[in-house]
Amino acid sequence: MSGSPYWNPKTETLPKDQLRALQGHRLKKAVERAYHTSAFHKALFDDAGVGPDDIQSVDDIVRLPFTTRDAWMDNQAANAPFGEMCAVTPDEAIRYHTTSGTSGRTPLRVLDTRTDWKWVSEMWCYGFHGFGVRPGDRVFFAFSYGTFIGFWGAHYGTEKMGCLVLPSGNMNTPNRVELIRELEATVVCATPTYALRLGQEAENLGIDLPNSSVKRLILSGEPAGSIPASKKMVEEQWGAKAADTAGMTEIGTIMMFECEQQPGGTHIIEDHFIEEVINPETGEPVDYGEQGERVVTSFGRSAIPLVRYRSRDLVMKVPHTGCSCGRTFDIYDGGIRGRVDDMLLVRGTNVYPRAIEAIVREYPAVDEFQIYLWTKDGIRDEIAVRCEVRPGFGDQWSGIAKQLQSDLSHNTEGLGIHVQQAEAGSLPRFELKAKRVLDERHVKGASHA
Amino acid sequence: MPDATDILGNPLTEAEQKLLAAYRTLESLSGEELAPTAKAGVAEATACLWQVINNLGLTDDRPAC
Repeated sequence: MSGSPYWNPKTETLPKDQLRALQGHRLKKAVERAYHTSAFHKALFDDAGVGPDDIQSVDDIVRLPFTTRDAWMDNQAANAPFGEMCAVTPDEAIRYHTTSGTSGRTPLRVLDTRTDWKWVSEMWCYGFHGFGVRPGDRVFFAFSYGTFIGFWGAHYGTEKMGCLVLPSGNMNTPNRVELIRELEATVVCATPTYALRLGQEAENLGIDLPNSSVKRLILSGEPAGSIPASKKMVEEQWGAKAADTAGMTEIGTIMMFECEQQPGGTHIIEDHFIEEVINPETGEPVDYGEQGERVVTSFGRSAIPLVRYRSRDLVMKVPHTGCSCGRTFDIYDGGIRGRVDDMLLVRGTNVYPRAIEAIVREYPAVDEFQIYLWTKDGIRDEIAVRCEVRPGFGDQWSGIAKQLQSDLSHNTEGLGIHVQQAEAGSLPRFELKAKRVLDERHVKGASHA
Repeated sequence: MPDATDILGNPLTEAEQKLLAAYRTLESLSGEELAPTAKAGVAEATACLWQVINNLGLTDDRPAC
């Protein structure tokens, strides 16, 4: 059993009908707990005319109202500092965190109990173990810690697993690369963007990453971890396998991970979460294979009950049979595919930043990029992809740029997307969630020049 | 009387019975007057062991810590 590829063989391979029964059982308990301990949820359920007694099986979940970030934020503002979502008092909690988020006005503040923190770490263990990380691995965290919850749970999870944890909270990028080499890290955890940044720095320092001790990368925080071209670039740069994971501060941990079989998506941790996929416009469920918004219900965190929380993440769920690993946990094909509110509307054409990244990352000549939007002559929206060119590709750039422009146009219904060369080092680099869209359409006089 | 099945109604294995018993022992200690070192250690151990019995679906209980 200790050689199991599964962190929790009992539930990760549970027949689907039993898994649904387990989810139904835990849903009922989660709703009871939320109703009786969180004033936010009691009011929400009472307003919807539904209570704990209405939940008898997993199918009853649709009777429950959605929870939204806006409602949570409004409640927090009206009941500062923590709001009524929180089901424990600060005296009962042991840790405070906030969202970093790519959206939102002010951060959400969350508290966690001792048991919650162990659970947060436990979810990461599903992911790390599932991707082949084992006791004895040396796990490097390229992460600044602080109040952003980020990789905190992964840090504790890998300690629990018996790995040697290498934190790097106060270090700059060159020092981190040096430490990875010097201490012979075997696993590196970072956002996809920062993994690429570390790789670039290693090149600058003359460190041969493909022949280093690093065998696995655990990526999180951005959709790029499941964009094939981005992942391929990371894997080639490091000479290591890269796994995507995804989580959110609202649940405090990850709810999906990529297994060693790398099926092109991430398994949902379905013994601890119910993940629904809905049409973001109508709120109606969509079928397997259709893209929609993921809605999460979490069973594990007592201080922050989360029931039918609309994540705004775009996903496409496919059956577990799409992977040969033996888990019965369904899969989000392509991981997180973007955000419902990410979409840019340019001259009537929908443009998704993730789709742009998927194309740009097929070009090894592009070191870093930015999507820039402005209004020309006060009337016409324009979009450009600004690219820093990797050393050694300068002479070929003109031809590469033309091909990239053609590919971008082909994939955006013929929308003319400019490709601009940016000065080396001029575009922002990111350690956490990358923000590669600069939309200055509302800025008077802005232009791409 | 010890639990005979998990929350799905499956019989507990011998190891699962021992894990559940250990958890119940820790839980019972949490209500006792203990030295600070023991109180904190019991709370930490209870939270740790709860992850196991929760993952294995042995009980619906949830510790207060």
